[in-house]
Amino acid sequence: MQSFRSLLYRFSTMTTLPSSAPDSTVTKKPTRDVLLVSIWRGEADEGDFEAHSVPAHDNQTVLDVVSWVQQHADPTLSYRFACRVGMCGSCAMMVNGEPRWTCRTHVSKVADDGALTVAPLRNLPVIKDLVVDMDPFFDKWVAAQAVHHPSHSRADPMQPVSTQTPERISANEAIECINCAVCYAACDTVANQPDYLGPAALNRAWALINDEKDAARQEILDAVSGTGGCHNCHSQGGCAHYCPNELNPMASVAGLKRATAMRFFKGR
Amino acid sequence: MMIERHDTDILIIGSGGAGLFAALHAQQSAAPGTKITIAVKGLLGKCGCTRMVQGGYNVALGGGDTVERHFMDTIQGGKWLPDQDMAWKLCTLAVERIHELENEVGCFFDRNPDGSLHQKAFAGQTADRTVHKGDLTGIEIINRLMEQVLTQPVEKLQEHRAIGLIPTRDGAALSGVLFIDMRTGGFRFVCAKAVLMATGGGPTMYKYHTPSGDKTMDGLAMALRVGLPLRDMEMVQFHPTGLLAGDHTRITGTVLEEGLRGAGGHLLNHAGDRFMFDFDAKGERATRDIVSRGIYAQMRASNDPQQVGVFISMSHLGPDNVREKFKGMVKRCADSGFDLAAGKVEVVPTAHYFMGGVVVDPDTRTALEGFYVAGEDAGGAHGSNRLGGNGVANSTVFGGVAGDVMARHVAAMNTQREPDEAVLEAEIARALHPFSKPAGAVIELRQTLQNAMWDDIGVMRTKAGLKRGLRAVEDVRAALMETGVQDGSRAFNLTWHDWLNLSSLCDISKAIAEAALARENSRGAHFREDFPEDGGLENSDFTVIRRAGDRLDVTREPVRFTIVRPGETILPEGEPESLVG
Repeated sequence: MQSFRSLLYRFSTMTTLPSSAPDSTVTKKPTRDVLLVSIWRGEADEGDFEAHSVPAHDNQTVLDVVSWVQQHADPTLSYRFACRVGMCGSCAMMVNGEPRWTCRTHVSKVADDGALTVAPLRNLPVIKDLVVDMDPFFDKWVAAQAVHHPSHSRADPMQPVSTQTPERISANEAIECINCAVCYAACDTVANQPDYLGPAALNRAWALINDEKDAARQEILDAVSGTGGCHNCHSQGGCAHYCPNELNPMASVAGLKRATAMRFFKGR
Repeated sequence: MMIERHDTDILIIGSGGAGLFAALHAQQSAAPGTKITIAVKGLLGKCGCTRMVQGGYNVALGGGDTVERHFMDTIQGGKWLPDQDMAWKLCTLAVERIHELENEVGCFFDRNPDGSLHQKAFAGQTADRTVHKGDLTGIEIINRLMEQVLTQPVEKLQEHRAIGLIPTRDGAALSGVLFIDMRTGGFRFVCAKAVLMATGGGPTMYKYHTPSGDKTMDGLAMALRVGLPLRDMEMVQFHPTGLLAGDHTRITGTVLEEGLRGAGGHLLNHAGDRFMFDFDAKGERATRDIVSRGIYAQMRASNDPQQVGVFISMSHLGPDNVREKFKGMVKRCADSGFDLAAGKVEVVPTAHYFMGGVVVDPDTRTALEGFYVAGEDAGGAHGSNRLGGNGVANSTVFGGVAGDVMARHVAAMNTQREPDEAVLEAEIARALHPFSKPAGAVIELRQTLQNAMWDDIGVMRTKAGLKRGLRAVEDVRAALMETGVQDGSRAFNLTWHDWLNLSSLCDISKAIAEAALARENSRGAHFREDFPEDGGLENSDFTVIRRAGDRLDVTREPVRFTIVRPGETILPEGEPESLVG
C-alpha cells in the first residue's frame, strides 16, 4: 500500500513542478471564495499546466470546476463527462494526484488549502487536455474474455439461480463495476507492465468464473493466466483503495490466482 | 470543404439499449460480410440514458401477470394516446428480449430465494412486473450489451456527433449521415444502405433535467430538418424529485429515485408540512405527473428565492434503515453534501423523458426509405405518459427489431444511395456558422432557454405562457445565430459542441411549444391550466408536427383504437383490476 501511495504522490509532485505553478496574477493566498486550479493542457507528453481562479461554492464537484473553466475562462479546454452522477464512468481524472470520478468528488473533500490540480487519467493515452483514449482499457476487457459466454438461448426458460451459493455471492460482490478505469489508473502494475490486463478486466473475469450461466469458464482461465494475466498482480491494493463503488478487484484477482493455480495442480 | 467519406451497409447512431441491441441483431440476422457501423456521440455504451435506468425492465412473465395486462397498463398509463400496435409489440417482445438479456447477453438480474427472477411493481402497474438489478438495472444491461458488441466485428465510430441526415437528391430515401469526428473536429459523411437513429431523446432544454449531459435532442432536430413528421411533441415527462443543489453544479436535476416515495418518504413544504394529500389520496405515492404538479404548485405559491424547491424527508423511517435500503442514493447525496438518511434534501420536478418522437411503424420504419428510428427518438409507444420500467423495454425491443429489419433490407440492395450534395453542403455550413461570428457566451443563452422552458413550457401550461415561452425560444435562437465560437483547434472543441447542442435544443423547444399550444386539453404529462379536462377519451387525437420552410405545421390525427377502445379491456372477464396487494 505504501509504495502505491508514494508513487501516486510522486505523480502528483511531478505534475506540479514550477512550470505548472499558478502565474503571478493568480498566486494570491487562496481564500474561501476562490479555488486555485491547475489544469493539464495539451497532449500526452507535450503540454503544460494552466492556472485558473475559480469561484468556490458550497455544493461543487471537481467536474463543476472543470466545466466552469471551459464555460467562463477558456472555451478551448477539453474534458469528457456524460451522466453527471457516477453511473457512466466517463469523467474520471487525476485530482491532486489521485484517480477519481470528478462528477461525484466534492471539492471540499480534495482541495488542498483551496488548490486543485486536475490531470488526465493515468495509464491511458491522452487525446487532448483531460480526455484519454479508453480503447486500450476495453481491448484488455475483451482479451481477458471478460464477456459472458452464453450457455442458453432466448428460446430456453429462465434458469433458476440460487442466491445463496458461495459462487453467486462472489459474483454479486464483483458485479457493480461501471468500467470507469479508476482502478486501472491507480494500478502500478499497469504502469510498469503495459500488457497487464488490469484490475477491472480481471474483476469482471472473476465475476464470470463464478457465474454458473457462463459456458466458457476454462477459456476465461486460459485468458487470464497468460503473460499479462492475473499472476502479475503484486497485491498493492490501489484498485480496492480507489474504487468509487467500493469493489475489491484485488480480491477478485486473488480468486483468479487461486483458480488458475488449482487448475494447474489438478492438471486441468 | 474537405470531408472524409466512408461507406457501410448498416449504420446505427447511438449506443444505448436500442443502438446496442440493433447492432447485435443486425450481426445475427445479416448475411455474412455485411458491414455494420455504430457511431456514438460519446464512448460506446457510456453516454446516453439506458445506463442511467434505476428501476428496471417491465415484462409479463407469468405468476398471474400477462402480456394483455401489461398492455392495458401501458394504454391506461399513456391515457389512451399510445399507438396500440406499437404498445402491443412492446409488451409481447419484451418477453423474448428479457430471455435474451438473461440467457444470451448474460445479465445478472435479482432473484427470489427460490432462484426465480425477482419482479416488483412500480406506480401505475397492476402486477409485480419489473425485473431489476438492485436499483442500478441500466448499468447491468448496458455493460453486458457493450461487452457483447465489443467482441463483434462491428465498426466503432466513437465521439462522432451526428449533425445531419442526408437524403438522396429526390428526397425519397436516406443516403447517409454527416458527422463531426469530435476528436479531430473534421467532418465525416457515412453513406449507408440502412440507418437506424437511436440517439435517445433527453429533454435537457429545461432548467432542471435528468438525462446525461451529452443528450441534446440532436436526433429529433435532424429528423425535423429533413422533413420527417414528429408526434406527441408536447409530452415531456417530469420526474418529481430531482436534486436541487444550485445553478452552478451539474448534479442539480439528477434523480432521487422513485422508491424513496414508495417506501414512505415525505415531501415537505416551506413550513415543514406534508402537502401531497391536498392533491391526491395516495399522497406522495401518487404517479409522477401528479406529484410533479403538486410540487410545482407549492413552489409557485411560495415563490421564495431562498428556498426554491420542497424537501424530501426520510428520517422518520430510521436513518440506519434508510442508509441500508437506499445505499446508492444516500452515498450520492452525501458526495454532494446532503444527508438523505437523517436530514432533508431539497428537490424539484425535473425533465426526464420524451414521449414524443419520429412517427414510425411497429417495424421502426419511417416515411424516409432506408431510415429507421427506435428508442426514445421514436414516438407512439407511450402516448402521453411512460410507465416506469417501460423505457428500457421499449429501447431494447425496438432496437432489436430494427437490427433484424435492416438486415433484411440491405440484403436486397446492391449499393448505397448517392447523397444530395447540396444538403451535405448546407449541413456543413450550418455547423460552421458559429466560427463566422464574434465569440460570445453560449452557456448564458442556454440558461435563458432553460429558464423560459421551465417557467412557461414546463409542468403547468397556459396559452399566454406558451406564447411568451415561444417568443423567448425564438429570441434565444436569434441571439445564438449572432453568437460565435472562437476558431482555432476544432479538435475536441466542447464550446463548438455547446453551440450545436443549443441549436438542436432551440429547434425542439419550439416544436414542444407549438404542439403544446395545439393541444387544448390535458393528458398525462401535458397539463393546460386553461384546459384541465382530458377532452374525451373517445375523441383522443395526437399532434403531428412538421417543418414547412421556416415554420412548423401542427396537425391532429385521431388515435386508432386497433386493439381496445376506451372503457373496454382485453383482460378476461372476472380478472381483478390489480394483482398488487
